[in-house]
Amino acid sequence: MTALAILVALSPLTGSAAALAGARARLAGVAQAVGAAISLGCSLALLVTLDGHAPLAGWDGFLYVDSLGGFFAMTVAGVTLLAALGSIGYVSAQEDGGELSGFQVRLYFTFFGLFASLMLAALETGNLGLLFVLVEASTLASAALVGIEGRSRSLEAAWKYIIISSLGVTIALAGTLFLFYSASALHLGSNLGLTWPYLLAHAQALAPQSLRLAFLLAVVGYGTKVGLAPMHTWLPDAHAEAPSPASAMLSAALLNVGMYAIIRFLAIAQARLGGTYPRAVLLSFGFASIVVGALFMVRRGNFKRLFAYSSVEHMGIIAVALGFGGVLGLYGALLQTLNHALAKAVLFLSSGDVALRYRTREAGQVSGLLAAVPVTGGALLLASFAVLGSPPFGLFLSELTIVRAGFAHGSPVFPLLLLALLGLAFVAFARTTAGMATGEPPQLASPYRGRAEVAVTAAPLILGLAVLLVLGLWIPAGLDAVLRHSIRVIG
Amino acid sequence: MQSLSATSAAGVLLDLSGVVILLLAFACLASKLFNRYVVYYGAQSVVLSFAAGTAAVAFHSAELWILAALTLAVKGIAIPVAARRLLVTRLALKRDAAMSTGLSTSLIAGGALTAFAYLVSRPALLPHGTVASAVVPLSTAVILLGSLSMVVRRHTVAQLIGWLIVENGVFLGAITLVATFPFIVEAGIFLDIVAGVLIMVVFVSGLTRQLAEASAAELRELRG
Repeated sequence: MTALAILVALSPLTGSAAALAGARARLAGVAQAVGAAISLGCSLALLVTLDGHAPLAGWDGFLYVDSLGGFFAMTVAGVTLLAALGSIGYVSAQEDGGELSGFQVRLYFTFFGLFASLMLAALETGNLGLLFVLVEASTLASAALVGIEGRSRSLEAAWKYIIISSLGVTIALAGTLFLFYSASALHLGSNLGLTWPYLLAHAQALAPQSLRLAFLLAVVGYGTKVGLAPMHTWLPDAHAEAPSPASAMLSAALLNVGMYAIIRFLAIAQARLGGTYPRAVLLSFGFASIVVGALFMVRRGNFKRLFAYSSVEHMGIIAVALGFGGVLGLYGALLQTLNHALAKAVLFLSSGDVALRYRTREAGQVSGLLAAVPVTGGALLLASFAVLGSPPFGLFLSELTIVRAGFAHGSPVFPLLLLALLGLAFVAFARTTAGMATGEPPQLASPYRGRAEVAVTAAPLILGLAVLLVLGLWIPAGLDAVLRHSIRVIG
Repeated sequence: MQSLSATSAAGVLLDLSGVVILLLAFACLASKLFNRYVVYYGAQSVVLSFAAGTAAVAFHSAELWILAALTLAVKGIAIPVAARRLLVTRLALKRDAAMSTGLSTSLIAGGALTAFAYLVSRPALLPHGTVASAVVPLSTAVILLGSLSMVVRRHTVAQLIGWLIVENGVFLGAITLVATFPFIVEAGIFLDIVAGVLIMVVFVSGLTRQLAEASAAELRELRG
């Protein structure tokens, strides 16, 4: 089992290895996709072996995988697979078009593999200090991806991203320190004492005042990575300027890793402080994010920025779901995480194809997508409706669960407000994407060399949408069991 | 948790180092010349490595000795020297008073933040009589002052050093809890900082090629 967990985290490095060995975009992309597929397979096998049994723990708690970590690892590995498949066509086209040099391509795949591997490792450690180290390292690797094109706009976005996120994660480290201070009474001596399961089991011995501060600092700090308002300012820039497959990784994988860290702190805080304080914190940041995300979506402009603000909105929805709490709220939050990751990966990957073909990222200059590029246009339109929560896709189910959790939570004001904001987001978002899909198609030259690349560009879109559709109609018994075990972990 | 008492020799030394580190953070905040800003940061890191050495003696920890030596070599010497070279020779920047607020305003804000740090972290939060109860408010104040320098300084390199001051503050808090933080984590944090600085310097160089002076005030292409 330990070997499986190690394989999950290390196999995405195949892309880095291929790039370092000097492979060109196609070969490195294929190597990356194979590595991601192995990682996904191993994470599924790990979840099957765990199946509610005792979590996998080793090396003084540095290695620790329970259902919750395994669930997030599966999500991240799945997104990595989709984004790696998308990278093959996107980066090859950019290499052939002369927009990226051979060096930049090798840099891209080196950091892509490293980024995925660091995120997966962060989900498999029980030590909260090591969690910080890995999250910060993944920030650095992804900042290199954001700035890879080297234009002044992408460097500006990368600078904003690295400086804001690094400061944010450092605040989370201060939060971790305060958590350890709050455990003074436990006389933590060994490495085992610094691990999440130990602190959760001994939560009653934690000092409440410093724990309050620790939780708040952790939400602000890791919340910067999640993109919770008002710490979200780096997010639209980074998502808009990064190469599209890298945007998919940021939005669908990285944000979830930040949310995972918050969930770990939430569990400890709830065990000692009760539900009221942690929930109030999460509800405030969550609603702030939904409001900011929905309002900025009204503006029509760069379509990748639109998708980025939708990520802010969705992270807000997940935070609100955690704030509602209870079995329903947690179930909805986890299901929403998986569904949003799939839908957003499809959206960003199809936006990459659109940007390559139309040579613009402005929504106003794109029209007739459905007629010109039926597969990409259809995927973009369907994924838009999916991300907005229309049936029959998975997000409809998870958002319905969250709203129900809200009514069960007590005051009907919050769920009603949530519904109103979702409506606003729907109108704002669909207005832009519907405009892109319809209308007169212009004459377009294909950016790809062969039919194989066109096919491999379409593959992750169809794959992602298919899974999303299945999740909307039917939750497999295995997934249901994993979600229930994860909820028990959070408590 | 092992913790030193505040009245032991090592405790007093740690406390004193904490105070000097805070004063140097103020000096950074107030310095008008870029050269001095970097020098104050270097001095702060040297004092920090002295504090780590003190903790190493007190806890008989070989790992802390390594960290103290690394802090001295990387943060105390390498980063300030490299930053000076980057600023003075590559960017030809000798004086940069570019702050978005006045000097006195930022100093008053710094004082208020220090008071705030004591207010939040002093009462009932920490066990009395331990060195942690003396040093943690200091380290919180250094974290806040570093963030303030990041906010008020316009130049990208100045923002980078502001982040490093924040890291120094966190490190100061961490060494008073030596038994709690395993070496691998401390070393990982260190590695992150070094890698972070390297990547940021690459970005700054890239921005310098495209903008007049790589000041954050010029970074205004992306909005909304």
